[in-house]
Amino acid sequence: MVGMEHAWVLPALPFGAFVLLMLAGRYLPRRGDLLAVGAMAASAVLFSFVLADLTDALAHGEFQGVFSGTDWLKFDTFHVRLGFYFDRLAAVMLAVVTYVGTLIFVYSMGYMKGDPRYGWFFAAMSLFAASMMTLVLADNLLLLYGAWEAVGFCSYLLIGFWHERRPAAEAAKKAFITTRIGDVGFLIGIVLLWREAGTFNLQEIFRFAQEGGYSTPYLTLAVLLLFAGAVGKSAQFPLHVWLPDAMEGPTPVSALIHAATMVVAGVYMVARTMPLFQEADPVALDVVTSLGLTTVVLSATIALVVRDVKRVIAYSTINSLGLMMVALGAGSVTAAMFYLFVHGFFKALLFLAAGNVLHATDRQTVDDLGGLARKMPLTAVAFGVGALAMAGLFPFAGFWAKDEILVAAREYHNQVAVAVLWVSVALAALYMGRLYTLVFTGQPRDRHVWEHAHEGPPIMVGPVLLLTLGAVVTGFLAFDQVGEALGLGGGIGQFVYLEEPHTFHMPWGEAIGSTLLVVASLGAAWAIWGGKGELAVQLGKRLQPLYLLLWNKYYMDDLYQWIVNRIVLAGGAVVAWFDRVVVNDTGVDGSAGLTALGGWLMRQLQTGKLPNYALAIATGAAVIGAVVLVSRM
Amino acid sequence: MIPVQHFLLLGALLFSLGVYGVLSRRNAVLIILSVELMLQAVNINLVAFAVYLAPDEFVGLIFALFVIAVAAAEVGLALAIALRLFRNRTTANVDEVDSLRW
Amino acid sequence: MSYEEGLFYVVAAVTALGGLGVVVNRNVVHAALFLIVALLGVAGIFLLLSAEFLAIVQILIYGAAVTILVLFVIMLTRVRDVPRATIGPQAPLAVAVAGSIFGLLAATILMTDWAALGATEETHLVPVRRLGEVLFSRWSVPFEVASLVLLVALVGAIVLARPEEEE
Repeated sequence: MVGMEHAWVLPALPFGAFVLLMLAGRYLPRRGDLLAVGAMAASAVLFSFVLADLTDALAHGEFQGVFSGTDWLKFDTFHVRLGFYFDRLAAVMLAVVTYVGTLIFVYSMGYMKGDPRYGWFFAAMSLFAASMMTLVLADNLLLLYGAWEAVGFCSYLLIGFWHERRPAAEAAKKAFITTRIGDVGFLIGIVLLWREAGTFNLQEIFRFAQEGGYSTPYLTLAVLLLFAGAVGKSAQFPLHVWLPDAMEGPTPVSALIHAATMVVAGVYMVARTMPLFQEADPVALDVVTSLGLTTVVLSATIALVVRDVKRVIAYSTINSLGLMMVALGAGSVTAAMFYLFVHGFFKALLFLAAGNVLHATDRQTVDDLGGLARKMPLTAVAFGVGALAMAGLFPFAGFWAKDEILVAAREYHNQVAVAVLWVSVALAALYMGRLYTLVFTGQPRDRHVWEHAHEGPPIMVGPVLLLTLGAVVTGFLAFDQVGEALGLGGGIGQFVYLEEPHTFHMPWGEAIGSTLLVVASLGAAWAIWGGKGELAVQLGKRLQPLYLLLWNKYYMDDLYQWIVNRIVLAGGAVVAWFDRVVVNDTGVDGSAGLTALGGWLMRQLQTGKLPNYALAIATGAAVIGAVVLVSRM
Repeated sequence: MIPVQHFLLLGALLFSLGVYGVLSRRNAVLIILSVELMLQAVNINLVAFAVYLAPDEFVGLIFALFVIAVAAAEVGLALAIALRLFRNRTTANVDEVDSLRW
Repeated sequence: MSYEEGLFYVVAAVTALGGLGVVVNRNVVHAALFLIVALLGVAGIFLLLSAEFLAIVQILIYGAAVTILVLFVIMLTRVRDVPRATIGPQAPLAVAVAGSIFGLLAATILMTDWAALGATEETHLVPVRRLGEVLFSRWSVPFEVASLVLLVALVGAIVLARPEEEE
């Protein structure tokens, strides 16, 4: 029987696929794509079994989590385990990774068909899947960090998949470097925690913190440094700049890595380490909330003017990530994880549907699209569902999740957060409506492109439709009845929580209010951008300065480039100067030169002339004589 | 009568003059002459010591005698070499004999 | 000052001036002639030291044989009578070194307690007869070796100085 103690098999399967693909991919039929897909599917199936075991345990009473894995390094005080911990939090995350991941893998078989590096794509994706699952299951911070870096590396590989294209290579570099900045803080935080507790194991660290092992300032600092990693990985302000550029990668990559799984790793990590946040000074969570709110406002406003389809969805992802962080800041792991779960489905849906459009038209900007609903009805419906889920319209999944966040903010009594969140609801509906309107309705802007648009093959449409189903039904997990029926012991509030489970009450205030707001915003979007879109153009002219600000993404990229140019490169120039002049010219060449000079000086003594030698002898004799005389005196 | 230091000082003086000559002269023959001067000084010293300090065994005198003999031989050979040098290079100028330089 | 001392000063002055002339004079022949003066002066010193035999030997060998040898060689190594500077470029340094050597020697001489070593102000005459006896008995081996040295010098000088042969 497959149980929770076998959870380690879940990452092992795609990892095995990766190894096989790397070694023998060239020789396998179809370059081994079935192997990769098969491994993912097997993981999904196995997960189902493990989940069943979990529900079984829940039925039998109190349940925390199950450990598995082996020891890896063991010195005196330094003990590292390749350890895995399966609990409910991990289950939620793994559900997204395995189910959505499998669908995306299947989709990729159609999308990436004919690519010269088809096999390498699946190898890298398999490695990513393995690393992601390891990250989720890791029971100690060191392994988590290792997996964290690994997913970042896979992200780099996959963003730069078409590395012959300059923008793709640059984007990959940008992603890696930006997240690296956060990772440095993350590592320092891990070391700080380990230093006092003497262990990397999460549960042990939690116990240590709860017993007061850390002083509050120390713990607060450590926790904020951990959060720094999340800021990078989950594209929070100010390290959000890499995610839009990451759209240079293939669409399945955007769907899996930059929507459903990797970017939410930061959210997952904060949720995981919430016990530490609780013990630390409340200012830590305030920082989380503040950055989350800033991220939300930033991304939601920029999304209004972006013209690249994938980039709009990318900004909506940043928006969602901000929302999740605000939820965590309000102390609600439930709301955050619930949103994470449903987000995995509808965001991946949006990307894959966009992928269908790309694949069919070979165009990515709204300037070349329009009116595609007539040509690609299934995709249009799917995309529409995804957009509505993102906007948060009843009864789609996003509606339930975002309301949970609104409730959490309200219960936390953070008025600013509540206000900003309501505004973000309107903005999200606005820009998603805009996107759908510009792409699928109205007159086609490029007739030739429109003529050739068509639905994709079943292998691409199928996963999209399945994800559509997910975007509709997963929201209902909020209901306790649904959860109990599935054996989860209750709705999401009973399944994943921080301190105690809470039963689900329909938040009528938020529900009605947000529905009205969303409908109004969608209507506004239709009005502004629908048809010929003249209103949009006029608004753009009227609000020119604002438009420019948004178009330039608040000039953040320019700021960072300036910093790099002035500070980083200047610093580099100084160091290079030091290396060239001090180390090389003076140290190396200098000492060599000195030796040569010494040799040259010595040579001058060899004149070959006897009188010179005689002088030397006489001088030497005189000196010796003087020395002897003086010593005898 | 005459204190021994007088002779010794004269010897020192002649010796120093000889050293100067060896070091500053250009002509090979003149260098040899300066060496002769130095040998004269040595002889004065030897004889002075023999006469004033150890009159019974006059080793110094014998020594001085041999010095004269060997010096004569040496001068003969040195001058022969100088002659040969002159023949090979048509110069007796020691400054110009420097083919053993680096 | 006793008259022996005075005599000493005179002879010493002659010798010293001769020595000076050897090392300073520009003309090679003049320098050689000054050497003769110095050599004869040294002979006088030997006389003052009551070493008559040595004085005579000095005059015979140096004053005659060596001098003539030197003059011959000077004659043979003259280059077109072009007056060339005979003082080399090392002169200043040579002055310094020679001066310091003289200083050292003088200091040593003056600082030594000669009386404690048994020096008196008396000279003792050495009978020539005694000299000869000792020379041929106790110092006979060095005597023979000296004669060998002279032989070698003789042969060597001939070999070195003979004219180039046509092969």
